[in-house]
Amino acid sequence: MAEEESLVKAGVVSQWLADNGFEHEFIEPDVQGVETIKVQPEFLLPIATALYAYGFNYLQFQCGADLGPGRDLVSVYHLIKVSDNADKPAEVRVKVFLPRENPRVPSVYWIWKAADWQERESYDMYGIIYEGHPNLKRILMPEDWVGWPLRKDYISPDFYELQDAY
Amino acid sequence: MVLNSHLTTQEQIINPIERPQVTHDLSENIILTTVDDLYNWARLSSLWPLLFGTACCFIEFAALIGSRFDFDRFGLIPRSSPRQADLIITAGTITMKMAPQLVRLYEQMPEPKYVIAMGACTITGGMFSVDSPTAVRGVDKLIPVDVYLPGCPPRPEAIIDAIIKLRKKIANDSIQERANIKQVHRYYSTTHNLKPVEQILTGKYLQSETRFTPPKELVEAIGIPVPPALITAKTQKEEQKRG
Repeated sequence: MAEEESLVKAGVVSQWLADNGFEHEFIEPDVQGVETIKVQPEFLLPIATALYAYGFNYLQFQCGADLGPGRDLVSVYHLIKVSDNADKPAEVRVKVFLPRENPRVPSVYWIWKAADWQERESYDMYGIIYEGHPNLKRILMPEDWVGWPLRKDYISPDFYELQDAY
Repeated sequence: MVLNSHLTTQEQIINPIERPQVTHDLSENIILTTVDDLYNWARLSSLWPLLFGTACCFIEFAALIGSRFDFDRFGLIPRSSPRQADLIITAGTITMKMAPQLVRLYEQMPEPKYVIAMGACTITGGMFSVDSPTAVRGVDKLIPVDVYLPGCPPRPEAIIDAIIKLRKKIANDSIQERANIKQVHRYYSTTHNLKPVEQILTGKYLQSETRFTPPKELVEAIGIPVPPALITAKTQKEEQKRG
């Protein structure tokens, strides 16, 4: 594992975070070469604040993911630096891996307001609880729905309306 | 002008001076019909659809409203109130969240009322029928459907075809048979055991107090006394108070 990490050269943002003593893990970048950082949930807010101060002023998207039945849930944040006449602005992707039984992560709403509805959607679909979110309620599904529809182990209820039409 | 010189003297075709001959034949001055036919003709000639669209099918339906396809010539005038509509075209996917609203709109329409299920989504669930957690598989599980209009989405010509088929169906209706067709027996209804939950759309979304002050724990975790987003939130709040 250590050898693999030494083979993958840490990105600019990851290097900057390491220099300033923010604990994180550099994981493999995606196919487009976007730098990806794994963060523990308790360190998300300090690191997010540091990244904001570093210039990542725009949360391009926030989303959730499920790695599979019984495995971790992921909360993903994609940050870019927006400026005037920006050409290929710097990007970084922050991933927080959360245990399936108790997926709790602090909300980044107070840093980037764009997280408001997107965190609600991740809550609605995956049941990730964003602590400190101003209005964490279901956004897409009916308010009385039971279960988290985009989890891989979700079983659709056998409602008459949802049964196959013949 | 050699070719038509023989016409000029005797046969005046253009602008005859005498009055046109009105026929005095009985068959061309009296219309014999039944009350049913007259009533049905009046109804099918002014079929007012409800403006109802939930997805991409409504784009095609909106094209039909426009001047290129012009469905006003069928007497269809889109109505925005279900109380004034005879026809509902379910243009687009119906989800479990939208289903109660659709049924309520249908029930608010005055009798006689007709339904066209437009597009694959409202016939079987369409491409959502495989694994969607919330798409209703066929709108006929909620309301009775008169014409099924397949396509994904159907072209405006196809909607015209469906409306013509519906007009034919209306033309075959009879007032005498109306008592036999009861709405109660026209569609399946199931009883859900629902647990009412607290309403989440309270209308106080932006005014809620949690939106302006972050929890204390978060402020400490962020590490800086006033986060930048909060500064803008405070100014917005002050503006609201002033306004």
